Amino acid sequence: MKIALAGNPNSGKTTLFNAITGKIEHVGNWAGVTVEKKEGDVKQSLNPRNEDLVVVDLPGAYSMSPYTSEESITRDFVQNENPDVIINIVDSTNLSRSLFFTTQLLELGIPVVVALNKSDLTEKKGNTIDVPALRDALKCPVIQTISSKSSYNGLPELLDAVIMAGKSNKKQISPNIGAKKASTKEEFEKVDKKRFTFVNNIVTEVERRKVSSEKQTLQDKVDRIVAHPWLGIPIFALIIWLVFSISQSWVGPVFADIFVGWIDSLNAGVASLLGENVNPVVSALLLDGIIGGVSAVVGFLPLIMVLFFCLALLEDSGYMARVAIVLDRFFKKVGLSGRSIIPMIIGTGCGIPGIMATRTIKNERQRRTTAMLTPFMPCGAKLPIIALFAGVFFNENSWVGTSMYFLGIIVIIISALIIRKITGDYSKSYFIMELPEYRWPSIKRASVSVLMRAKAFIIKAGTIILVCNAVVQILQTFNWQLQVVAETAPETSILASIATPLAILFIPLGFGLWQFAAAAVTGFIAKENVVGTLAVCFSITNFINVEELTLVGGSQEVSSIFGISAVAALAYLVFNLFTPPCFAAIGAMRSEMESPKWLWGAIGFQLSMGYVLAFLVYQIGTLVTTGTLGQGFIGGLIAVLVIVGCVLYLMRRGSNSAQISAGMRSVKV
Amino acid sequence: MMSLSKGKVNTPYTVNCVKTDSEDIREFLFTLGCYPGEKITIISKLASNYIINIKDARYSIDEELANAIMV
Repeated sequence: MKIALAGNPNSGKTTLFNAITGKIEHVGNWAGVTVEKKEGDVKQSLNPRNEDLVVVDLPGAYSMSPYTSEESITRDFVQNENPDVIINIVDSTNLSRSLFFTTQLLELGIPVVVALNKSDLTEKKGNTIDVPALRDALKCPVIQTISSKSSYNGLPELLDAVIMAGKSNKKQISPNIGAKKASTKEEFEKVDKKRFTFVNNIVTEVERRKVSSEKQTLQDKVDRIVAHPWLGIPIFALIIWLVFSISQSWVGPVFADIFVGWIDSLNAGVASLLGENVNPVVSALLLDGIIGGVSAVVGFLPLIMVLFFCLALLEDSGYMARVAIVLDRFFKKVGLSGRSIIPMIIGTGCGIPGIMATRTIKNERQRRTTAMLTPFMPCGAKLPIIALFAGVFFNENSWVGTSMYFLGIIVIIISALIIRKITGDYSKSYFIMELPEYRWPSIKRASVSVLMRAKAFIIKAGTIILVCNAVVQILQTFNWQLQVVAETAPETSILASIATPLAILFIPLGFGLWQFAAAAVTGFIAKENVVGTLAVCFSITNFINVEELTLVGGSQEVSSIFGISAVAALAYLVFNLFTPPCFAAIGAMRSEMESPKWLWGAIGFQLSMGYVLAFLVYQIGTLVTTGTLGQGFIGGLIAVLVIVGCVLYLMRRGSNSAQISAGMRSVKV
Repeated sequence: MMSLSKGKVNTPYTVNCVKTDSEDIREFLFTLGCYPGEKITIISKLASNYIINIKDARYSIDEELANAIMV
C-alpha cells in the first residue's frame, strides 16, 4: 500500500514521516525544508500485522496549482502515481487556509485521511475544534495528531484509519462545494472562490478561537526586536558568534580533548602492534597516511557536532525565518531576495542540500545565482580548515569562524551584484514567506540530527578521505622511478612534482608550497581532505593536543612546520572557502542550474573569487604587518587585473544588453 | 481604495484587488486566502518588510508586494 503525505508547508509532514517510519530526514521550523519526495516503510511498532506499507513524504504545497517547482512534485505525485491513500496533514492552528488544499485532494477520488496535526498547539492557544463535525463536513476520517511527541500522539489511530481506508477499495466521495466542473480559467477561479467559501463555512462551524489570530501576541513583540531594521543585524551577529564560541572555544574543545585522546591511543596501539620490524614504507602508509590523515580530520568531529547542534536548535526555534527578513533588504539591493537566505543557511551544514533548496526560488536568475553562491557559506566540511588555521595561527578561535561566516555573506552580496550586472537581468520578484511560530527547540531532535551528521562524517572519513590520504601518502613516498624518496629531498616525490607547477600560481597568494597546492586540489574531492592532506604532507598526526587544548607542541611549532606567515595562512583559508566546492556540490549545482553555461560560469567565477580574495588578503595583510609587499606581487597583480578586466567587460556587455532590451520594450509600448 | 503599504498597523482591511502583471503571484496569494473580499491585517512594519496576517497565518512580505495589494 502506497501512502502519500501531503499538506501545506511547515505543517509537520516530515516530522510525521520520521515518526511513522523511524527515519531521520531533515526537519526545520520553516516552510520549504523538504524539496524532494522521500520514501520509507512504516516501522514495526505501528504496523503490527506486518503489512506492506510504504510512506512517501512530499514537499509542502498550498494548492494543486504549483507556484514553485518543488510544489509541482507534490501535485504530480498525487495526480499521476496513484497512491492508495493520501494522508493530508492539516496544521490545526490554521484550518482556514489548510482545508483549501484538503478539498482539492478530496476531489481526486483517492481515499484521504486527515491528520489534524499540532493539536497540542491548538489546545495551548485555547482553541477548540469539533472533530466529529469536521469529519462529517469533509466526508473523510479526521484524526488528531501530535507528530512531535513520541507517545499519545495519535499515530496508531491514524495508521489504523489509513489501513482501513486503503483496504475498503471505495472511491473517496468529495463534499459538495456547490460548484460545477470548470473548464475555462474564469470558471476555475469561480470554483476556487466557492471552495474558500465552503472552507470558511466549515471553519466557522467547527472551530472556536479564544483569541482572534490578527491580535498582537508576544511572538509579534519578539519579531519586532529580532527582525528590527538595525538591531536585527547585531543580534544575528551575536548569535552566530555565540554558536562559534560554544563550538570552537567553550564546549567543543572539551569533547575534542577526550576524543583525540582515544585517537592517539589507537595510533599508539597500532604502532606497537606493527612493532619495529615492519617495512618503514608500509608503516608510514598505515600510521602517517591512513591513521594520521584520517584522525587529523576526525579529531575535529566534536567541534563540528557541537556547531551542528547549536545550528539545529536555531533552526528548530523558528529564528532562521526572521534572519531572512533582516537580510532581505540587503539581498534585494543586489537582485536576490530573503528567499535566497534559506538555501544559504541550510548550506552552513552541507552545501548539497543547500543548493537543492534553491528550488523554492521562483525566479530563474535568482535561483541560479543562489545555487552558485550558496557554496560560499562555510559548510561543515570546511569547518576543520577554519578550526585548524584559527587554532594554529590565531589564538582567538571563535573570532575567525564568525568573521568567515559574515565574510561569506558579504562576498555573496558583492557576487550577486556582479552576476546581476553580467546577466543584465534586472527583473524584480515579490518576496513572500510564511513566518513560523517560535517554539522551544527540542534537545532530542537536535541530538538526533547531529548523530546522523556525525555518522555521515565518519563514513566519509572512513571511505573517501581514507583513500585520498593513502594515495597522497603513496604519491609523496615515491618518485617517478618508483623509488622511495630520500627524507632530505621530499620535493622529488611524484606528488611534489605534480603540485609544484600549481604552487607557482599560488606564490602571489603567499602559499606557493607544493604541500598547500596538493591540499587545495584534494579539497575538491572533499573539503575535509585539505586538513588530511596537510597532516600527511607535514607528517602531523593530530592538530589538537590532549593536555593543553592547544595544538601539538604548541601552535608556534606547527606554524613553523607549515613555513608560512599568519597572513598567508589567512589567505589560504580564504582561498579554500571561496573556491568551487567539492565535486558532489558541483554536481548539485549542475542539476539545479540546468544550464552548462551557468555551471561553467559559476566554476570560473568561484575560482576567480577565491584567487582575488586570497591575493588581496595576503598582499594587503603583508603590507600592513611588515610594511613591504608580499612575494610575487607583480605576477599576481597581472592575474588579478586580467580577472577583474574580464568581469568588468562581461558586466558592461550585460548592462548594454539590458539597455537594449529596455529600449525594445519602450518601443513596443 | 489604497495600497496596503499605506495602511495602519493593527487595522483589519478588506482586500480589493492585487494590482500586478504577475499572474503567478496573484494566484499564489489566492491559495493563501488573500483575494478580493478577504481580510488582511498588518501586524508590524519592519524596515522595508511588512508582517501581515491572512486567515490564521503570519507572512513576511516586501514593500513591492504591499504596494500591489489594494485594500
